[in-house]
Amino acid sequence: MKLDNLQVKSVSVSFGGVQAVRNVSFTVEPGRIVGLIGPNGAGKSSLLNCISGLSRPDAGSVMLGSKELVGLRPDQIAECGLGRVFQHPEVIGELSVLDNLLVACHRNLQFSVLSEMLGLPSVRQAEMKAREEVEKVARLVGLHESLQMNAASLPYGHRKLLELGRVILLGSKLLLLDEPIAGLNEAEIEQLAQLIMTLRSKGNLSVLLVEHNMGLVRQLCDEAVVLDAGQVIAQGTPEQVLNDPKVLLAYLGEVVENA
Amino acid sequence: MMTQASPATRFLTIKNSMLGLLGIFAIVASQFGGGYMVYLINLVCIFTLVSIGLNLLVGFSGQISLGHAGFFAIGAYASGLLGKNLDMPFWLSIPLGSMVATAIGALIALPALRLKNLYLAIATLGFGIVTQKLIFEWRAFTGGGGGLQVPLPKFADYDLSDGRHMFWAILFCLVIGAWMANKVAHGRTGRALAMLRESEVAAGCLGIRISHYKVIAFALSAFYAAIAGGLYAYLVRYINPESFNTNMSIMFLAMIVIGGMGSIPGALMGAAFYVIVPELLRGFKEAPGLVFGLSLVAVMVLMPTGLIGIWRKFEAKKS
Repeated sequence: MKLDNLQVKSVSVSFGGVQAVRNVSFTVEPGRIVGLIGPNGAGKSSLLNCISGLSRPDAGSVMLGSKELVGLRPDQIAECGLGRVFQHPEVIGELSVLDNLLVACHRNLQFSVLSEMLGLPSVRQAEMKAREEVEKVARLVGLHESLQMNAASLPYGHRKLLELGRVILLGSKLLLLDEPIAGLNEAEIEQLAQLIMTLRSKGNLSVLLVEHNMGLVRQLCDEAVVLDAGQVIAQGTPEQVLNDPKVLLAYLGEVVENA
Repeated sequence: MMTQASPATRFLTIKNSMLGLLGIFAIVASQFGGGYMVYLINLVCIFTLVSIGLNLLVGFSGQISLGHAGFFAIGAYASGLLGKNLDMPFWLSIPLGSMVATAIGALIALPALRLKNLYLAIATLGFGIVTQKLIFEWRAFTGGGGGLQVPLPKFADYDLSDGRHMFWAILFCLVIGAWMANKVAHGRTGRALAMLRESEVAAGCLGIRISHYKVIAFALSAFYAAIAGGLYAYLVRYINPESFNTNMSIMFLAMIVIGGMGSIPGALMGAAFYVIVPELLRGFKEAPGLVFGLSLVAVMVLMPTGLIGIWRKFEAKKS
């Protein structure tokens, strides 16, 4: 499958009188991992919400290939191949990990509520097929031994893996990862980083990664975009960007000037 | 952890055996018990049907309704009027009447899309009250406060007006209804509803169209309440808007909380508790209401996850 560019063009967002995002533009080229970094309150989450359709920018456009995403509902954007992994994993506690993963097969299971109520054989077949798909993905993310467990008893790190499994099942071509490693231990971070690398190496995937951990940004990203006070202040390879005086200033404030 | 069991052993779980025994008991008691006992058993089955539907809305999708007596009433009146005015047999008038309620349920969901929690509770409360008043005021059509005489439930030439016979029709609806709800609960729809209860934002990003599923949840639960209402109309054969009040809506909601949210056997337990416990308390001449109220408090304090919670605890210990 051919991957598309994600183009964020002159996007601005304001809440009341506060401009959270000002005229931000950047592109995620097909197959690349782009880091979106910046201090707290820089507008990263607001931007991510615009891309995934949770809020509407005041101005600008977000294009996936030739398709305009602004104005679409989140479920329509998901259907375009954009998968979002939330900072806090949203699992259904009383359902099994299997069922939690099956939620993401929603779009692929095209049958009506009525045929489901009647328990038609076609419904059963489609469910069986989705189950096989889920087992494959569970193996990939390392959850195949916990499939029957209640999601509520899943450790935090595994919940993040579950969320990642979901966007893979969704068939997303572009992943939006919002601080994927927050709250994880060293081993789990390594596992997640490896997983992202593996997914990318299989092709068919671009990633926009919001992250505070600069080590991870260096390790994973081909490119980084730095936001501060709603504006792009630097853009380039992680090395370039992390040595940029403007970026150091944004992160460390006056300390740099005094040094 | 769970091992793959053969279909036979998977089916013959303790839970299923107990449900089977309960079913056999209900059948025996309904056929050989006294008239009042038969009435109570029929009532439990009818309310279970309402609870199963309401559970899809409240337990699964996380919405709330304080107006389900309205759907119950629409089902009762629509099927009763179809039977009376068009001479339709009850097995046709009940599903057709319920279609009306389902459509209204879907319409009610539209304003409900923008409302949450308490706001939704108040809006649905309003719906229940308006429905009751409409039936009351629309005398020419519904008979108003004078009530409506519902024709005999007949299947071909066979008269089912005896509770012992009506029981089979009610049981049939309950079994089919529970079976269908089980399919929905454990399938694509149930997962989508649970996901939107957990987080609408996350559900949307997983490709689930939120508004679509809220409408489905309202319509389905309205359908179940209306089928139950229709059966009720043909069971008691005289209906009056007085009985479909807010108290009834609250009772429906209490049933699923007492029984246990999101569980079909829980719906049965909640309905049975609500119908049978007050009967057992008749001995307390002065204060059956007081004792029943206290028993509600006791259940919620001791079993915050409902009566089905005891069962779940037992199962968790076993494995």
